[in-house]
Amino acid sequence: MDLLNFLFLDSLYEFFNPKKRIFIGYLLIAVLIAAFWLVYFRKLNLREAINKIFDKKILFSKSAKSDYLLFFINQIIMSVISPVLITQLAIATALFYYFHSVSWLDAGVWNNTPLVIIISAFTLFHFLLEDFSKYFVHRLMHKWPILWAIHKVHHSATFLTPMTVFRTHPLEGVVFSLRSAFTQAISISSFVFLFGPQVDIATILGANIFIFAFNIAGSNLRHSHIDISYWKWLEYLIISPAQHQVHHSVLKQHHDKNFGVALAVWDWFFGSLHHSEKIENLKLGIHINQKEDTHSLRSLYFEPLKEIILIVIKPLTKLKQILKLIKFTLIGVNR
Amino acid sequence: MQNKFTKLILAGVFGTTLALPAFGDGHSYGPFPITLKGYSGDKTNSVSYSGQIARHVQHDSLKKLAGSGNLPEMMAYFKGSDKNKKILAPASKGDFKIKQTLLNEISSGKNLSGKSYKGLVNGWPGGMTGVEVLEHMINKAAEHGSAFDPNTGYNYPQLISKFAMGAVFYNQAVDNYLDEKLGPDNKPNNKPYKDGAYYTGKEHSWDEAFGYWGAAAHSLNLTAEQNYNITKMKDMAAADHNGDGVVDLKTEYNFAHAYYAASYDKGGKTDYFNTVTQAFVDGRKIITAANGEALTNAQRSQLYVLRDIIGQNWEKVIAESVFKYAGSVYKDIDKLQTIIEANGDTTKAFATYGKHWGELKGFALALQCGKNNIGETAVKLNRMMGFGPVLLNSSQVTGVDSNGNFIKDEASGWDEYKLHMLKIQKLMVDVFAVKARANDQLANISDLSAKLGGSNSAEND
Repeated sequence: MDLLNFLFLDSLYEFFNPKKRIFIGYLLIAVLIAAFWLVYFRKLNLREAINKIFDKKILFSKSAKSDYLLFFINQIIMSVISPVLITQLAIATALFYYFHSVSWLDAGVWNNTPLVIIISAFTLFHFLLEDFSKYFVHRLMHKWPILWAIHKVHHSATFLTPMTVFRTHPLEGVVFSLRSAFTQAISISSFVFLFGPQVDIATILGANIFIFAFNIAGSNLRHSHIDISYWKWLEYLIISPAQHQVHHSVLKQHHDKNFGVALAVWDWFFGSLHHSEKIENLKLGIHINQKEDTHSLRSLYFEPLKEIILIVIKPLTKLKQILKLIKFTLIGVNR
Repeated sequence: MQNKFTKLILAGVFGTTLALPAFGDGHSYGPFPITLKGYSGDKTNSVSYSGQIARHVQHDSLKKLAGSGNLPEMMAYFKGSDKNKKILAPASKGDFKIKQTLLNEISSGKNLSGKSYKGLVNGWPGGMTGVEVLEHMINKAAEHGSAFDPNTGYNYPQLISKFAMGAVFYNQAVDNYLDEKLGPDNKPNNKPYKDGAYYTGKEHSWDEAFGYWGAAAHSLNLTAEQNYNITKMKDMAAADHNGDGVVDLKTEYNFAHAYYAASYDKGGKTDYFNTVTQAFVDGRKIITAANGEALTNAQRSQLYVLRDIIGQNWEKVIAESVFKYAGSVYKDIDKLQTIIEANGDTTKAFATYGKHWGELKGFALALQCGKNNIGETAVKLNRMMGFGPVLLNSSQVTGVDSNGNFIKDEASGWDEYKLHMLKIQKLMVDVFAVKARANDQLANISDLSAKLGGSNSAEND
């Protein structure tokens, strides 16, 4: 019970950690932005705006309730899994060693670069690498059947709330952990190798300055029903909340669009960009007639596993049939 | 007014507490009473380790001479001399006045050579024993005539000093006095250490080991910073415990590895100095409490526990030094590379590199003089370091010929050598769990890793 208590408190800590999306400060800013948007652009009065933001039908929907549960349960599962996953430190050290053994690479060649440039370069490089790798892995999550089986959990949300970020299968958590470990290791090892020991990251409240900017710009609204859109030109560069809501839409024309997190440029370059559209009550989820059962814990945790097993077994049963056929043919020949 | 009065009283009480004699307070190594049965002389303190202090002084003086090219003088401190030799180091500096100026004021008839490690030293060319390696180094130092030889990259004072600390002090303490001499049949506690002695076999064995450790008798009453500054001759008040205006090398000075322990502890991450010194004090109390009787098995077991604490922490202090200087060598190569690229003058930076490499090598060899064979760790350490530093023309000492002259051959590149230094640091962390980690070349990587933080929750951005 103590352990559960501890984990519960540990989960709540996420609300007070500025490195996390659901930091209370970012949530408050998101509310302010949403209110401003609804009053100024949607012409609601303040009371209507508040009612819309805190829409009980959404916040207490079956979909949202399962998000909240997953937030706590995953925390427990990940606390067991994370310690056995390879760390960014282990990979960074191995890479740092490796760079020393590459004959055409010289350690510390840019040691004398002014500190402000080193820090700016590292901070920007790491942000870009992180954002690109998130785009890339997200794209894979949609394109590979095994990965889609687990990513579907996130897309099964029929209402979006900031807590939907936690509507994630633990196996997907493992994939994201490894992605993060590798990108951090690449940034750290290459920069320390080339620029020496003064490499550092520019942060605000401990968060990468760019991530901080992204979060105070209302990152929480991408998982919400407040469809804030940007100017068209800006949506080529930065993903607007409405663009991400499009990504969650059940409509066929919205499938496999807008994989990016902060930047839209990756989607633009690789042909998956979709601008926001003015659609009243955009339908979200995996299917048009999605079953209520998809919000049950059993379904959220075990359906992906079942699906993966089926994907793996299918070719095996085919192989078995082929072997049977060969055996039959051979025995037939012998006769 | 009342406030002033309170302050005055507090100052008085505090002052009295400070002025209390440290003896018998559990924080000083001695004095301890005579426990030897049947002793009728007038001695009252059974503690004796002046022979060890004499060897510390011989070591410090030898280091001072190692760049002079004067072989007979060096040998007089290494092998001992009939003459009452002058103490070259530690010698008075400004206000920091040393009580003794001649070696025999501490102890006569002592030498380093007779107490040097007799095992094979694999990390030095020529397949020699510890004592032979030291003699070889001293001969080469004299031949060369100055501290640093750019031809081999060797800094002789550093090599000789750092290796001697291991080959003599560390080895004698952990592999002799705290090893076989602690056994039940060796130097028993119900007999004098030797005929005519006023201390028992176990009392003196323990004292000798403490003497080699090198800590001042009152050092547990001081901070790591103070202990460090005693050896740096910067804190007379901390050193002069009895307030007689001079520092008695026999009891008031920190030598050798004890000094290095304090140097790491002052960073706040470790407590080697106090751990080892306290274990020595506690062990001596157990022996004193046996009151001249043979030790019981239970008492011996207690001593073994303390002996292990001493051995392990002492080893860590040496491993921390290997770690530190591997980091220095890495940084020195970085600097040299920058200077070479800019076509600058490398003379000074190269000499610094040689000095740090000498310290690294000396400590690495010392680490291999302990009670236990460190096996694979030693092999890795010796291979990665090589017999000499990688020189500016990318050559390195690879052996000695039949006359004991160094042979050089092509070495791996600078960057690969830097990688070796990183791996040596990692080896010290993995094998000895060093914590102070001075000059940590991977510190930035671990700091940044911690700063960026792992992603341990399942989140879909």
